[in-house]
Amino acid sequence: MDHFLHWLADTAFSATMRESVWAEPLVETVHVLTLTLFLGFVLLLDLRFLDVILRRRRVAEILRQLNPWLFAGFAVMILTGTLLFCADPVAFYSTLFFKLKMIMIVLAGVNVLVFNATLGKHIGEWDRGGATPWRVKLSGIASLVLWLAVVAAGRGIAYALPPP
Amino acid sequence: MASALLAFCEWCNASAVGHAIRDSVWLFPFVEIFHLLALALLGGMILLLNMRLLGLRLRAEPIAALTRELYPWMAGAIAVMFISGFLLFCTEAVKMYGNWAFQLKMTFLLLAILYTFTIHRRLLLTADTHPRPLARALTVAISLLLWLAVGLGGRALGYVTTAVSSLAASR
Repeated sequence: MDHFLHWLADTAFSATMRESVWAEPLVETVHVLTLTLFLGFVLLLDLRFLDVILRRRRVAEILRQLNPWLFAGFAVMILTGTLLFCADPVAFYSTLFFKLKMIMIVLAGVNVLVFNATLGKHIGEWDRGGATPWRVKLSGIASLVLWLAVVAAGRGIAYALPPP
Repeated sequence: MASALLAFCEWCNASAVGHAIRDSVWLFPFVEIFHLLALALLGGMILLLNMRLLGLRLRAEPIAALTRELYPWMAGAIAVMFISGFLLFCTEAVKMYGNWAFQLKMTFLLLAILYTFTIHRRLLLTADTHPRPLARALTVAISLLLWLAVGLGGRALGYVTTAVSSLAASR
């Protein structure tokens, strides 16, 4: 791992990200503003799972409507996040918050996979316009907590990194 | 007016809240977390409403009903952003007073809120019975541009270094 991080830090691309005046602020701005699309839509979905908003619409319909944009937002978050990481991979990886953030993102992904493999598979059985089952609400709460932790850890990285 | 504003900024700077957040290592990022979460919720809802207005998403849902449901949430998110933003502002209020990016952000914030709760809202509430495609596109464009300007101002204010007024020495 150490070897890889140092190799990455020595690439011309990493040097450009580090030294350019505009690259990092620009990429970080896209990363932060895309929160509205990605995290915003995740929150809307979670609130629907919890029966708090958009109750007139079936969960399946909300999933179908939000997912394409949510995935697009996620792709932008991963891309810009990777670029930011490339600017100083050794320093990023050395912080506890970076590792925590990655673990939380993986857990949030596992939460989605578990939903798809269980509740999502027979959505027609419970998604009939009434209150969502408690297991669906639990999935929504897990998502809320995990993404909150991702945001918190992300902020933590900024303060744990050595000043430029 | 200007001196009253500066006096207010100095008062914020010297306030117990300003001191507490400045002196703490973790309070500033802690408050930022709430600012970011509310940003995601507010931005997500504005995007969804604009997508609905353009017929891109949730076409089966009446626009007026969606508007009535989401606007109170948007107002709540704006309240969280305003409170958390004000707390962050208190840590360096006098610096912000002279920061052009902050001034720009506040100007566009005022415009964006006024627009969202008047023109934008009225068009959303009447859109189900009045197609007006051109007006819709224009309303969406203005909404996105105003909120984007607020976001960009927010990003920029951290990079703008301002000459600290001599009056700020009181902090």
